[in-house]
Amino acid sequence: MTKTDLERPPAPSFAHASEAELARILDYYQVEWRYEPRTFPILFNLDGAVVESFSPDFYLPEFDLYVELTTLKQSLVRKKNRKLRRLRELYPDVRIKLFYARDFKALLLKYGRFELAASLSGEEGQARPMEAPSVIEDGAPVDHLTEAGPSSDVAPPTGGAEPVAPTRASPTATPGPIRQGRSRRSRRRRSRAAAAVA
Amino acid sequence: MHHADLTADVAEILVSEAQIQAKVAELGGRLSADYAGRELTLVSVLKGSLPFMADLMRAISIPVTIDLMEVSSYGGAATESSGLVRILKDLSSSIDGRDVLIVEDIIDTGLTLNYLVRYLTGKAPRTLRICTLLDKPARRLVEIEIDYRGFEIPDQFVVGYGLDYGELYRNLPYIGVLRPEVYGGT
Repeated sequence: MTKTDLERPPAPSFAHASEAELARILDYYQVEWRYEPRTFPILFNLDGAVVESFSPDFYLPEFDLYVELTTLKQSLVRKKNRKLRRLRELYPDVRIKLFYARDFKALLLKYGRFELAASLSGEEGQARPMEAPSVIEDGAPVDHLTEAGPSSDVAPPTGGAEPVAPTRASPTATPGPIRQGRSRRSRRRRSRAAAAVA
Repeated sequence: MHHADLTADVAEILVSEAQIQAKVAELGGRLSADYAGRELTLVSVLKGSLPFMADLMRAISIPVTIDLMEVSSYGGAATESSGLVRILKDLSSSIDGRDVLIVEDIIDTGLTLNYLVRYLTGKAPRTLRICTLLDKPARRLVEIEIDYRGFEIPDQFVVGYGLDYGELYRNLPYIGVLRPEVYGGT
């Protein structure tokens, strides 16, 4: 056990294997993360009491970004999409990235995590490579490729023309993983309590 | 399991050889203009970006120097030994005070690139910018400012022009979508 291991708080109890795997990936690339550090009330009754809340799975302090992994069940994906829309309405300054299960499965395949990727099987969890647009002929217009321009919903590129001095993360700002979080059970308890108040 | 004829494993051509070459020429022209009067150091991230690097450097008209780096990947042999990403091949020359351009074949999660940017920033280049042939934003996890981008592509398993699956397919002259039965997808 290294000194770094001793300094780390114990890993939280992840609700899904995919969350644990994402935490390992972030650790590997030395990206600081917190597990479910904040609960956002997203629905209130007429008395102003919270009746529904949303706790994104991960928070990446370096990027001031929340990351939510979706499950494989379409009904739950729809529910999560609805929560996400609500969160964006109420908290427009909060940056959150929804990582779909099919994207995560594809990522696992890339990293050679075939066994875990297979465990994410199911219609909604597929990488769906065959959903691709049609074949491009040589010289045909690139109608299904987007050439340089704004892309990610979380990473608006600036693409300035003039070279500029680096302004990205400081080389010394590479803290070890921060593992903080609480169990999903405690979160559910709070949700139930909020509902009871309502 | 791959075919002896690797092209048989490609479901479709996503970006043709002609499209790649046109884009490389365009990027080379932009870089030559943006860095006019300077000397640019291209840093290729092995192994996938080698063909792009080789073509891009020849499309740039200003003086360039090149260097190569290799970074361990999650899930690779290095994962079990250290548990942390590490530099497998470092720069051969100092980039202190130089204009540096990271040349990538593809950016998806941005995790490797994020690590690399932090690492190279610590070597005090005058400027540090990023050029990628392909951008797959659907898988982006960390925010990365991309300065030069060829194509934004959908979330598909792509191979060719340096991109591999199991170290194969890098020699295909185009970017193709790998048939799912090859990599165990559905």
